[in-house]
Amino acid sequence: MAVTPQTVEQLVNAGEPRAGWIAAVAKFVRQRPLGAIGAAIIVVMAVMAVGANVIAPQDPLATDYGAMLSAPGPGHWLGTDAFGRDVLSRMIYGSRTALMVGLGASLIGATFGSLIGVASAYFGGRVDLIVQRVMDVFFAFPVIILALAVVAILGTGVGNVILAIAAPMVPRCARVVRSSALSVREMPYVDAARASGFGHPRIILRHMLPNVMAPILIMATAFLGEAILLEASLSFLGLGVTEPTAAWGLMLRGAAVEFAETAPWMAFFPGLAISLAVFGFNLFGDSLRDALDPRLRTQ
Amino acid sequence: MAFYIFKRLLAIIPTLLGVAVLIFLLLRVVPGDVVEARYMSQGSQFQSQDLMDIERKKLGLDQPMWKQFTTWMAGLARLDFGLSMWTGSPITEEIKLRFALSLQLAIMASSTAVLLAIPLGILAAIKQDTWIDYAVRVFSIAGLAMPSFWLGILMILGMLIFFKWLPPMVFTPLWVNPWENLAQLIWPALAVGYRYSAVGTRMMRSTMLEVLREDYIRTARAKGLWLKLILSRHALKNAILPVLTVMSLEFAFLIGGLVVTEQVFNLNGLGMLFVEGISRRDYTLVQALVMLVATVFLFVNFLVDIAYAWLDPRIRYR
Repeated sequence: MAVTPQTVEQLVNAGEPRAGWIAAVAKFVRQRPLGAIGAAIIVVMAVMAVGANVIAPQDPLATDYGAMLSAPGPGHWLGTDAFGRDVLSRMIYGSRTALMVGLGASLIGATFGSLIGVASAYFGGRVDLIVQRVMDVFFAFPVIILALAVVAILGTGVGNVILAIAAPMVPRCARVVRSSALSVREMPYVDAARASGFGHPRIILRHMLPNVMAPILIMATAFLGEAILLEASLSFLGLGVTEPTAAWGLMLRGAAVEFAETAPWMAFFPGLAISLAVFGFNLFGDSLRDALDPRLRTQ
Repeated sequence: MAFYIFKRLLAIIPTLLGVAVLIFLLLRVVPGDVVEARYMSQGSQFQSQDLMDIERKKLGLDQPMWKQFTTWMAGLARLDFGLSMWTGSPITEEIKLRFALSLQLAIMASSTAVLLAIPLGILAAIKQDTWIDYAVRVFSIAGLAMPSFWLGILMILGMLIFFKWLPPMVFTPLWVNPWENLAQLIWPALAVGYRYSAVGTRMMRSTMLEVLREDYIRTARAKGLWLKLILSRHALKNAILPVLTVMSLEFAFLIGGLVVTEQVFNLNGLGMLFVEGISRRDYTLVQALVMLVATVFLFVNFLVDIAYAWLDPRIRYR
């Protein structure tokens, strides 16, 4: 019998009958309760982001000057802000902004970072040396300062903020991926691919990249939380997403601090949303790392 | 060892040069310059071209880029940061007091972080997979998740409600009134320190778990050594190094990277100065700030490397 990947899989799974996805979820919840909590938070956030226009009780941009700074109550469950806009609705729409910036930035950052990292490890020698020295330069900048510089060049707005957050992530991802790719480069199948006369791009993309997917995935999840936090920081400074777009960091800016004593709900709830979202992604990312990295498994 | 130190110190120079080139170019790509920014702030954006050109000439902005760069480099080589393009006063003067503030805040925040991280990390490692471990992990992940500026807002709100206290508008240096100074900085230090302790706690837990599985720990246990002694003498010494590394590298970024926290607590530190400098297109000031933060970072990095080489002779000869 020829041994194909499929038969190996059958042999491996022969011991236990293939469980349905409900059983798989139950197993995940049992084994990694913290990761399951994280996943649940992410699912809630994603549902809010996708269905914002159905779920949000009010228009997040509609101002009601008759009900400015009104406390949480039946009309506005989480109160209103200085323009009389519904805090709950703005929070629900804010998850859309946060998720968009988080996904966009970590996708772009991880893609470019891992390509640079794998290529650097693959070519080695002088290329590797130069790439590493350039990365060293980027490492000497605090993340927020690099992001602020990019915003200064490109201007504010969702798209530019995504790029500003992705920029500092590229070197960080490149470094981690490079170290994994260095060991992959020594694998016989890479030699085999080279001996078969495949071009560099093909070897990098088809042979090496898939084998460093685990660290990339771990990095990308960790980035997601960090990106959401960074977006909130930039928007809080007034250098990120701009009014009137609903964004959590933006909701904490200006009036939220000014009226913190009389209208604490304005400062409290959006911050809670940021914390919960980042908390969810970190919990999930942690469990993902534990699951994918056999060295960290508890014995 | 002396040769190793020299080699590592020399390696800082090309990186610093790279930082200088990068920030120099980045700033020139930012649209507008200090002359335009100043007229904009005065509400008169339409100045005659001649007047603006005269101003640019005074600041040396009419020179070709390579000339501007070499002039700046020549100044840096003599440790002369030059004059701020916006205020016209020496940058060293502009930075001095703010650097003292940022440094003190960074030291206080790092101390908070270390004091939280090490005991919590050890506790979580010893009690792995119990509710204590879970509680510590949730506490530290929550610290990573909460934006320190939000934590700051909540702290100020709490103080306002319970003690009628507001962050003062003016910063009191340590040497003027130590008590007032500490009362002012303790809250931002706690907000930032809690967040940075999270990284340390997680690191401490995982290195401790690794070390606890080593053979020499088992030997120590088999000899019947007291558990406290094993932890303090055998395990901690080996587990703590990576934690201190991570935390000291973070320390360098605390000096220039607390832009948002400074904003919340009304502190005029280096982070705020950086944001002001960028919005005013004050090239010389922003360049000086970035070089300062990068130098501190690279120097801390260098010290960590030296400490490692000193502790582990194998590194020196690689």
